[in-house]
Amino acid sequence: MGIVKIFYKDDCPMCPMAKRLRDTLQEQNVAVNDFNVGTTDGLAEATFYSVMALPTILIEDEAENSLQEWRGSVPHIDEVLNVVHGA
Amino acid sequence: METTDLNLFVRTSEENISDWDRSKITDALIRETLIDRDTASEISKEVENMMRKSGIQVITAPLIRELVNARLIEKGLESARKMHTRLGTPLYDVDNLILHPNKENANVPHGPEATNLTLAEGIKKEYALLSVFSQDIADAHMNGDIHLHDLGFIDRPYCSGQSLEYIKKFGLDLPHSLSMAKPAKHPEVLLAHLVKFAAALQSNFAGAIGWDAVNLFFAPYIEGMSDDAVKQLSQMLIFEFSQQAVARGGQAIFTDINIYWEVPKHFVNVPAIGPGGTFTGKTYGEYEKEAQRFAWSLFEVFKEGDGAGRPFFFPKPIVHITEKFFHTDGYMDFLNLICDVASDKGNTYFVFDRGETAKISECCRLSFKLEERDLMDAKEPWRMRYCALQNVSLNLPRLAYMAKNDDTKLLNLVTERFLLMVKAHKQKRAFMEKLLALGENGPLALLTMNRDGAPYLRFNLAAHLVGMVGLNEMVQIHTGEEMHESKKALKFGLKVLAHMNILTDKMRRQENMKIVLEQTPAESTSYRFARLDLRYFSPASGRVVKGDIASGEVYYTNSTHLNVKNAMNPIERVTTEGLFHPLIEAGSISHVWLGESQPAKEAIADFVIKTFKHTTSDQIAFSPEFTTCNKCHRTSRGIADTCSYCGSADVDGITRITGYFTKVSSWNKGKLGELKDRYRNNEYFSSAEKRKVVNE
Repeated sequence: MGIVKIFYKDDCPMCPMAKRLRDTLQEQNVAVNDFNVGTTDGLAEATFYSVMALPTILIEDEAENSLQEWRGSVPHIDEVLNVVHGA
Repeated sequence: METTDLNLFVRTSEENISDWDRSKITDALIRETLIDRDTASEISKEVENMMRKSGIQVITAPLIRELVNARLIEKGLESARKMHTRLGTPLYDVDNLILHPNKENANVPHGPEATNLTLAEGIKKEYALLSVFSQDIADAHMNGDIHLHDLGFIDRPYCSGQSLEYIKKFGLDLPHSLSMAKPAKHPEVLLAHLVKFAAALQSNFAGAIGWDAVNLFFAPYIEGMSDDAVKQLSQMLIFEFSQQAVARGGQAIFTDINIYWEVPKHFVNVPAIGPGGTFTGKTYGEYEKEAQRFAWSLFEVFKEGDGAGRPFFFPKPIVHITEKFFHTDGYMDFLNLICDVASDKGNTYFVFDRGETAKISECCRLSFKLEERDLMDAKEPWRMRYCALQNVSLNLPRLAYMAKNDDTKLLNLVTERFLLMVKAHKQKRAFMEKLLALGENGPLALLTMNRDGAPYLRFNLAAHLVGMVGLNEMVQIHTGEEMHESKKALKFGLKVLAHMNILTDKMRRQENMKIVLEQTPAESTSYRFARLDLRYFSPASGRVVKGDIASGEVYYTNSTHLNVKNAMNPIERVTTEGLFHPLIEAGSISHVWLGESQPAKEAIADFVIKTFKHTTSDQIAFSPEFTTCNKCHRTSRGIADTCSYCGSADVDGITRITGYFTKVSSWNKGKLGELKDRYRNNEYFSSAEKRKVVNE
């Protein structure tokens, strides 16, 4: 099963959508790690993944190989679930 | 005034010998310190008694001052003692300076002018640490917690970015100069103005002088010139800058010339200034072909090298690669040319301006992203004058020794030191304000001249640089692994930089100062920090400093770079090091050390394109190595002990030390240690043609 990583910032216009996606995924027991790039840990992780647009949503397998990514946009939850469950 | 009958002569600093006069001690103490007349008089009597008892007949003014200082210490008047201090250099040190080269800065040759520079720097360093900075800052510098760069140039800003448009529009009209020149009408005259102005600026800045879009701004002057004439002009420009070793302290002017193949978006619709300082009626967008012709011929000259086939050390050509570059006619031919130069001579710096970002490079590592206000200024490009006031670097490994594997403690220490560095910047800023307030009668007259409604130095835009040294060793001490050894270690390095990035943002808003992170070139700082940590943090430091402890050739890895010794694919190095670059606003670089290999230009071009498209690296440079013979004046590839042509042992190695090429014989011990460690990427570029000789 894939792991979702969501990168957001307090004041970006589309980030509330990404946070809602996070909440919904968590309700469906999908593993989600979220990172606020305004914090040290969040910024460090975002830098590691070369996140240049917010929000960014990444899905990785358990070996941290990239399965799918959306940079600067928020996908529909079904797209995310397809990748997560297909992993 | 009291008089004495002491039969004593004093050798004064005014080069005369005068009779002993105790009242001069009293007067000096009252003039220079805050002590009362009675105490001053008492001290002068004590010193006089000492003189009397010693039986000495001739004494120097400096010795009297030291004797007075000893009395001040005995009386617990430490603050008065500091105010009364004499700055100077011991005879032994001056003797050494005159006889032996200075290795702190490889761009300073050995000679009488260089000695002057070093002596003046020595006194100004002392002055800065005693008088400009508070004791906590001075102590932090002295013990190696932080490094205040270029203290010997305390009375000027650090480095700058300039616009040729200023000279084109206003001519050469400098405060207190012997003559005034109107705007140039001919390209050769413009070139002469450029070089003269650069020399004048070198006297007013500590470090690099960068020139923006040189080929574009020259374009209106070369319209109609034959290709041969343009080539001649290119030769003149490069030789003029590379042979300016007659300026300050015999030092070549550390010059960057920024070059664009495409016309950058922010200049496309800007009215062009031509001969006589008048607008030509065209925009710079219409001068693309002329600008390209000049850029091309400049690189032809770089490719040829100097009279002995060596690379030119200065000016440094910095080519900006933007998205538009790849949509501009002839880009691939130009890319191949500049890559050929990079492989053959190493001159080319590739700066990547991705997306909508525009940058101007000012220093060996320093480039600034142009903000909205700057882009407005671009409509009147002579306003595009930038500077950094000071550069302060942080000794990162030391914090890891102190934190003892505690993450929270480590980040807190980074914060504490960061605040100290900001304090140092505020003190330098206040000092600069004081000097600049003296206007055209002050020491920085050139920077206060006002020809366009604003002082030449736009103080409100001045940046304050915060650098870092040894992130790799900090991570190694803290996690047990170097950054190239594991994802965990790399991520910890990113965490420290992210913390510094966030602190920068906070402090910039809080202090209303343009504080920016920078990758410190650390030509001597990485050596200094390593030496000091070996003294204060052994045995732990002995396990992580790089180089050879036995020979003293020790260093910390520069800024956020990975261990230079690690054998890794260069694209992997550039990609990994590039992860840090978005966190460092004032510019970063990755080096690809070529050694004696000479990759095909196509291989370099492919590497450059991949770096632009698939990494977040801000800048890359390729560094070949050379041996040049002082006997037969020929140059061969690679660093060797003897000339491959005539066998002479009178040779110099040449390669890039930090942000520029220079002779290896002038390097400090730390850099020599690093040179031995550098992993040369011979295998990655194995398809390269290996030409041993560059000047045949």
